[in-house]
Amino acid sequence: MSSKKAFRVLGKRTIRKDGIAKVTGQEKFSSDIILPNMLYARMLKSPYPHARVKSMDVSGAEEMGAVALTPQEIPDVKFCPRLVSTPEATYKDWKVLSEKPVYVGEPIGAVAAETEEEAQRALEAIKVEYEPLEATFDALDSMKLRQQLHDEILLKDEGIKVKNNVGCHLDITEGDVEKGFGEADVVLERTYRTNRRYQNQLETKSVVVRPEPGGGITVWSTTQSIHNSRLLLHEIFGIPVGKIRVMKVAAGGFFGSSIQVNPVVPVAVALALKSWRPVKMTYTREEDLHDHVSYQMIFNLKLGAKRDGTLTAGQLEAYLDIGGHQIQAYPLLGCVVGWWVSLYKLPHIKYVGKAVYTNKVPSCAFRGYGSPQITWAVENLMDELAEAVGWDPLDFRLKNYIGLGDVFWGQGPTVKCIVQSCGVEEILTKGAEMVDWYHRPRPEEQTGRYRRGIGVGRGFHTSSAGAPVPSAVVDFGGAILKLNEDGTLDYITALMDHGGGTMTAHAKIIAEELCVPLENVNIVQGDTQTTVYDVCTHASRGVYAGGGAALKVARKVKDKLRDYAAKMLDAYPNAVKFRCDRERGQGVIYAEGVEGKELTFEEIASTARYKNWGTIASVESYRQPSCPPHFTGYFVEVEVDTWTGKVKLLRVVAGADIGTVINPELAAAQVHGGFLQGWSMAIIEDTPYDPENGDLMNRGFINNYKIPPPPDLPQLDDFTVFFAHTYEPTGPFGAKGLGEGALNPVAGAASNAICNALGVRFYELPITPIKILRALKEKEVE
Amino acid sequence: MKIEFTLNGRRRQFDVEPNQLLLNLLREKLYLTGTKYGCGIGECGACTVLLEGEPVLSCLTLAVDVDGREVKTIEGVAKGDNLDVVQEAYLEEAAVQCGFCTPGFILTTEALLRENPDPSEEEIREYLKGNFCRCTGYVNIIKAVKTAASRLRQARNQTSKEQTP
Amino acid sequence: MYINKLNTHIIPIRFEYHAPTSVEGAVELLSKYGEEARLLAGGTDLLVKMKQRLVEPKYIINIKKIKELAGINERKDGIHIGAATKLRTIERSKMIKEKLPVLHEAVISIGSVQIRNMATIGGNLCNASPSADSATALLALDAKARIFGPEGATIIPLEKFFVGPGQTILKPNEIMVEVSSPHLTEDIGTSFMKVGWTSFDIATVNIAVVLKLEGEAVNNCRIALGACAPTPIRTHRAEEFLKGKELTSEVLEEAANIVSEYVRPRAHWRRAPSEYRKAVSKALAMDALTIARKRIEGM
Repeated sequence: MSSKKAFRVLGKRTIRKDGIAKVTGQEKFSSDIILPNMLYARMLKSPYPHARVKSMDVSGAEEMGAVALTPQEIPDVKFCPRLVSTPEATYKDWKVLSEKPVYVGEPIGAVAAETEEEAQRALEAIKVEYEPLEATFDALDSMKLRQQLHDEILLKDEGIKVKNNVGCHLDITEGDVEKGFGEADVVLERTYRTNRRYQNQLETKSVVVRPEPGGGITVWSTTQSIHNSRLLLHEIFGIPVGKIRVMKVAAGGFFGSSIQVNPVVPVAVALALKSWRPVKMTYTREEDLHDHVSYQMIFNLKLGAKRDGTLTAGQLEAYLDIGGHQIQAYPLLGCVVGWWVSLYKLPHIKYVGKAVYTNKVPSCAFRGYGSPQITWAVENLMDELAEAVGWDPLDFRLKNYIGLGDVFWGQGPTVKCIVQSCGVEEILTKGAEMVDWYHRPRPEEQTGRYRRGIGVGRGFHTSSAGAPVPSAVVDFGGAILKLNEDGTLDYITALMDHGGGTMTAHAKIIAEELCVPLENVNIVQGDTQTTVYDVCTHASRGVYAGGGAALKVARKVKDKLRDYAAKMLDAYPNAVKFRCDRERGQGVIYAEGVEGKELTFEEIASTARYKNWGTIASVESYRQPSCPPHFTGYFVEVEVDTWTGKVKLLRVVAGADIGTVINPELAAAQVHGGFLQGWSMAIIEDTPYDPENGDLMNRGFINNYKIPPPPDLPQLDDFTVFFAHTYEPTGPFGAKGLGEGALNPVAGAASNAICNALGVRFYELPITPIKILRALKEKEVE
Repeated sequence: MKIEFTLNGRRRQFDVEPNQLLLNLLREKLYLTGTKYGCGIGECGACTVLLEGEPVLSCLTLAVDVDGREVKTIEGVAKGDNLDVVQEAYLEEAAVQCGFCTPGFILTTEALLRENPDPSEEEIREYLKGNFCRCTGYVNIIKAVKTAASRLRQARNQTSKEQTP
Repeated sequence: MYINKLNTHIIPIRFEYHAPTSVEGAVELLSKYGEEARLLAGGTDLLVKMKQRLVEPKYIINIKKIKELAGINERKDGIHIGAATKLRTIERSKMIKEKLPVLHEAVISIGSVQIRNMATIGGNLCNASPSADSATALLALDAKARIFGPEGATIIPLEKFFVGPGQTILKPNEIMVEVSSPHLTEDIGTSFMKVGWTSFDIATVNIAVVLKLEGEAVNNCRIALGACAPTPIRTHRAEEFLKGKELTSEVLEEAANIVSEYVRPRAHWRRAPSEYRKAVSKALAMDALTIARKRIEGM
């Protein structure tokens, strides 16, 4: 269902508003900020995966003239760096600087000096005595370990004891799975193990903090939420909220790695407060690799189906390897089951989820927040199950997918909505036609060296965590819009643009609603003092929720304009109309049919000034009524060289249902980027650990973390992206999100393609050439 | 050590330590922060600058090693707000997302098109190998290079037409 | 400890910097400073190692100002390439592409445009990684290295140049001045192949083949294999096996098997286990020989 409305700016090709700054190198990122009198800071990191810090002697550093910071100098506050959940769902086990580090790379101290080189020397002059403790590197082993990584953690500010190194758990049962499996003709159960991918955002975590006279601080940092950063710093340091000014600044990619306040931020704040000078801390790439990573997951997945193609029941046991600390493990447990049950209709479900501590880099969200992992597993099992019940895998999916009218779990069990727009049919049938799905190769018919396969993967992601009722997830935003004296508008929001063009989308929504040229909407780079609360740019909520807020303030401004225009035109406010006058470069309000009765926004604004009527502006918060899923589907064609195990990517056909498409080229770009991340997830990414020293095998060096470059990707003509024709009634002009849906089903499609080529299925990621050759050899032996 | 080199068309003099990297000289002493640190070991290309028109990695170049040479950074490409053909193409083809890799890509593209004004898609892909982008999946970047190449060729044909009596 | 010594933002150590303008000058400095000095060519290996704190030289000797160290010269006895010749110069050389195509193929597989604009062939060889792509190609070409020390110049076969992983035969006061390859005759076909995890990667396995046929039979075949042993190597047993034989598919497979037997597992091999390298070296050997033969036929 689509609303075939002709939009003036939405859906048109436009240049992104922050584009000139980016292509000329003038865009300032946190890591670019340089202030007068600034100190350069370096983090002291634990070299052990698990240890007690017995003593720390910073005299060597201080003798060099550096400012040193020890854990004792920081307020003794245990916190969770991510402030998206409500208190009853927030587990706290972090300190700013640890005295009992639980992963190699954990911050245990810091220094700041006049130059980076001096700071580095000062860092090396710090003497630390450690008592190494037993360490664990596998979630399943962790649960058997006697020693707990954390003896006591906080939940809603109350201490709870950790058992079996399980940080938190979640069990959900709906219906009767035994009955459901009993009704099935085929029941399949498999174990899946994902990789531990690193977000690899190009800008490493950075912060600059400037102490202000009167006890305040100004902060520029890599963050997805300026307001949550402010709140956390208030929680830790006690500085009044209004005195913490967190600036909105461009960032070199997030992919979920700064939903939480990154460890560099409170450390730099402490150094700035101690030295009374601005402090900058930019992580090196190797430090960044020790800072955050995605959630590695182990699934025992069981699905039952009848020969008539219906699914009867599902059971999922999920182990999340969360590393040394919790960032958002508990909400993630809910999201994993939510994504799982929202892929296909399961009449009965049983879910047992455990988040387990290991002595590894702490896990945090990576685009999709558990969905790439569970979708990979499910899409694989759906292929196997389809074959077992004698159904084509695509038809099997078409028969069972959660779609229009079904319940969708937008962000775990406490955030649900009913699907009101759905393009899954269009995506899958159109894509199938493009790749000639029903005539795709059969693995048993291929015997040569090079084998081809086509695989499908479908999925979705939520567009924000909005819903009609409150939940365990804070999700709302807000915006400010004001009319300038020349008829242009200033738009201010705390929502961040990761690079997807979210701000431009907001500007287009405003321009569309108010009938002004796009150039007339200025995007103001605000801060926490000049914006109202927005929870965070994550959960693919930038356009749906953020754009919703933009639309809300645009409508309020429109109403005020209407009133003032009516006054000036001596017309009725509810009868005047808006149009865009390109020649004059203005929005115009007119009384239809009456010649001469029209005003430009500029005329209204300047009259409002001379007549002292006031500024035409609006400040609003906005809570989205829903969490509509945006749907994606990928058809991937590969060719496997059975002599080297290398997989060549031949062709990609991708369909996306995002409701109204606001920025077509940038939306397609989300699909391109999400696809490469998913492809890379399927075949190469991982951060293995060295059991000898408990550190990353690659020590943090990025030369071992390869992502396929352009020559390894299909030709432009072989990568097709199309959008379904849908309209989301609860979204601004019918729009939904896209960011995470662009990634979620890709690894599933890629794995299925490789399996179609080889007749061998893989239950562990990444599917490397080494694993492929090994599997082919084993198959030969059989 | 005293060094002198041409930076974005102007002769500059500096006193540097031998272990000073060109990247940091540009970013910290000159506030030319368009050139970025992405990895420090030559894997990502975010620190790309042009040395006599050739793309090199400033994170692995000692400042003393550019004494007497010609360096161009992203700041030397546009003339104020007047973008050059490559920059415009990147914007039009939506090849810019977070923008952190963009300066490196633009400089590498400038060099590619100067050396090879009519590159095939394969040649473009090979040439851009050393510039890493996590956001775009490279598709629109390659489109931008093609668009820029085509426009530059057109402009060249136009100029030569005008010059031919 | 190690993790706190790493800082790839900067070069975290101080050193004395020299930029001699003659080979003798470089050797003098090397003789003076010995193990505490390092030669700086492209910097793409040395500076990375310094940032990784794997090497901390007190003296850096920049050799890029020594004019005679760079340049490609075609002489009667072969093609001579100065050690400080940039890889990009070699890549752009029409003469090398035409006359030593296997070297051209190897060089364009190294790094990226940026890296090749900085890195030198001497650096690639003296860094002596077992996976050095130019080494594999040059070994198959029966290349020679010219070394200059306090006592003057010596010429040694490149096969003797590599001693172990990251180790060459060079003494601390010696410098590689040039590498040279004999001319290839017209009835020779060559091929260089490499498998990395992506196309911007070092080799998991690389191979170079220089093949001369006499009629249908192999007159002479040189096969070099990289990343499979402590150094890049020649696979002489495979070469011997092929002499005088026709390149039937059985012969090809047998030769490739012999090549794969040269894979010698190393204790700290993290990239790929020997079973993988055996399989891939065999595959590449077959591919490279096939392509080399096709190229003879194509002439």
